[in-house]
Amino acid sequence: MADPTDPPLVVSNLKKIFGEETDNASEVIANISLSLGHGEIVSVVGPSGCGKSTLLNLLCGLTPRTAGEIFWYGGTSTGMPKRAGYMLQKDLLLPWRTALKNVTLGLEIHNVPSGERIKRARQLLDTIGLNGFHDYYPSALSGGMRQRVALARTLANEPEVLLLDEPFAALDFQTKLVLENDMARLVRSQRRSLLLITHDVEEAVSLSDRVVVLTHRPARIRAIHEINIDVDRTDMMAARESPYFTEYIRSIWSELEVQRRT
Amino acid sequence: MNIERRDIASAAVDVSSDATLTVPKPHRRGRRFRALRGNVLVLACQIAVLVVLLASWQFATANSALSAFLFGSPSAIWGFLVQMWKDGSLLTDTRITALETLLGFVGGNVLGTLVGLALWYSRFVSRVVQPFVVALGSIPIIALAPICIIWFGTGLVSKVAMATLSVVVVALITAYKGAMTVDVDQINLMRTLGASKGHIFRKLIIPASLGDIFAGLKLTVGFALIGAIIGEFMSSSEGLGHAIFKAGSLYIIPKVFAALVVTIALALCLTYVVGKIEKLLTPWRQH
Repeated sequence: MADPTDPPLVVSNLKKIFGEETDNASEVIANISLSLGHGEIVSVVGPSGCGKSTLLNLLCGLTPRTAGEIFWYGGTSTGMPKRAGYMLQKDLLLPWRTALKNVTLGLEIHNVPSGERIKRARQLLDTIGLNGFHDYYPSALSGGMRQRVALARTLANEPEVLLLDEPFAALDFQTKLVLENDMARLVRSQRRSLLLITHDVEEAVSLSDRVVVLTHRPARIRAIHEINIDVDRTDMMAARESPYFTEYIRSIWSELEVQRRT
Repeated sequence: MNIERRDIASAAVDVSSDATLTVPKPHRRGRRFRALRGNVLVLACQIAVLVVLLASWQFATANSALSAFLFGSPSAIWGFLVQMWKDGSLLTDTRITALETLLGFVGGNVLGTLVGLALWYSRFVSRVVQPFVVALGSIPIIALAPICIIWFGTGLVSKVAMATLSVVVVALITAYKGAMTVDVDQINLMRTLGASKGHIFRKLIIPASLGDIFAGLKLTVGFALIGAIIGEFMSSSEGLGHAIFKAGSLYIIPKVFAALVVTIALALCLTYVVGKIEKLLTPWRQH
């Protein structure tokens, strides 16, 4: 049913109302349509509480939708396709597993043989800058390191599509920048697709090919910006130094600002 | 890791302090020393409290301010302890009560934990079972003692049954609570990794519940001991409960206290062992 030439993810007229049958039904998402192409990085920004995380949960099939269609590779599957990986602001590492064993979790679930999964996890942790920390428990790692392990866990299943919900929001600025660079490098070099939910406009602009701006709850699409910054897109500092960068930031901010006053 | 790192750092400072005497002492050693001194101080105070209590008890009974017949005295208790040790009853009574407690403790916890965790699997079954669990939990264990004696006899089995019954409901509830309070995001993450319900149960629910399960274990050591002793009170020919009951009926108060001291020591030993096992099985937790 799924055609590899189809875009990884197409969402059309998605709608979500919580507590539909009750008196205090609340409409969180009014109408959202968007698409994510091969090798594309798309960010979704919106005012806080606008239903960004709900959107991601709908896409993963963790929350049932009220109306609309979600096409993964052209097919309408319910739930999360095998080729997608998911990561949240909370690292959600299992405290009883070492960094290495946390990374192998998804591989264990998919019955990858033990030798193979350890080899793959070690490789991933090394590329993500955690050599020497493989056998540490999460409680002994810093916030940035933990989030790196979480990223490695997401990448271990070799997903073609990554769905990330504010993955770096809890980190300090420097750590965040370094991780964004690593993320861009890993995603772009392997032509993966990435849908990033964030409230950080700078993060969205510096990382993405396209930024989708949502309105207040119930969320609709307010604007879509194609980001054309003529620099190496795996270098977050270079993107920030580009003259176009501030323009994008300003116009997206204004779209968020206007809504705050209304 | 932080601790290990600091150790490496302080070791490095140690090396350099050999070379240059001006380097100040590493902070880490100072802190560790202060922690040790704190522990020693607590222990010293605990011993002091005990000594003051025992001394005033001894003093009061020796001066007839307290009746030695009704209240016993530390020296008389010690005398009975020595006597019980010499005639061998101390060891046999302790051994039999420890065995009853241990079997009931293990049996009740295995049963309760298995059922409690299994209830995670089905919201429906857990709702059906809930009132029965509450009902079972509200029965005073002592009310079951006569039935246990009738059903299982006056030997070991009835005491094990009593200990098991004292433990099982608490074990069930703590394990169930542990399983049900696992972070929803954590479960969702497992689902997005493609985990089946069985995967989630084995790789997330069971290890995540270990903290609550061990809290339950520490709590139920005492309950198992109480159950075994109540069983011995009802009908028995040996065990610490039997010794307490017999000495009490004969108004030999110091002997009652002597057997109580042994019971307390047994409880402390068992709790200590459970704590050790917890450390061994959950090395990732900071105890």
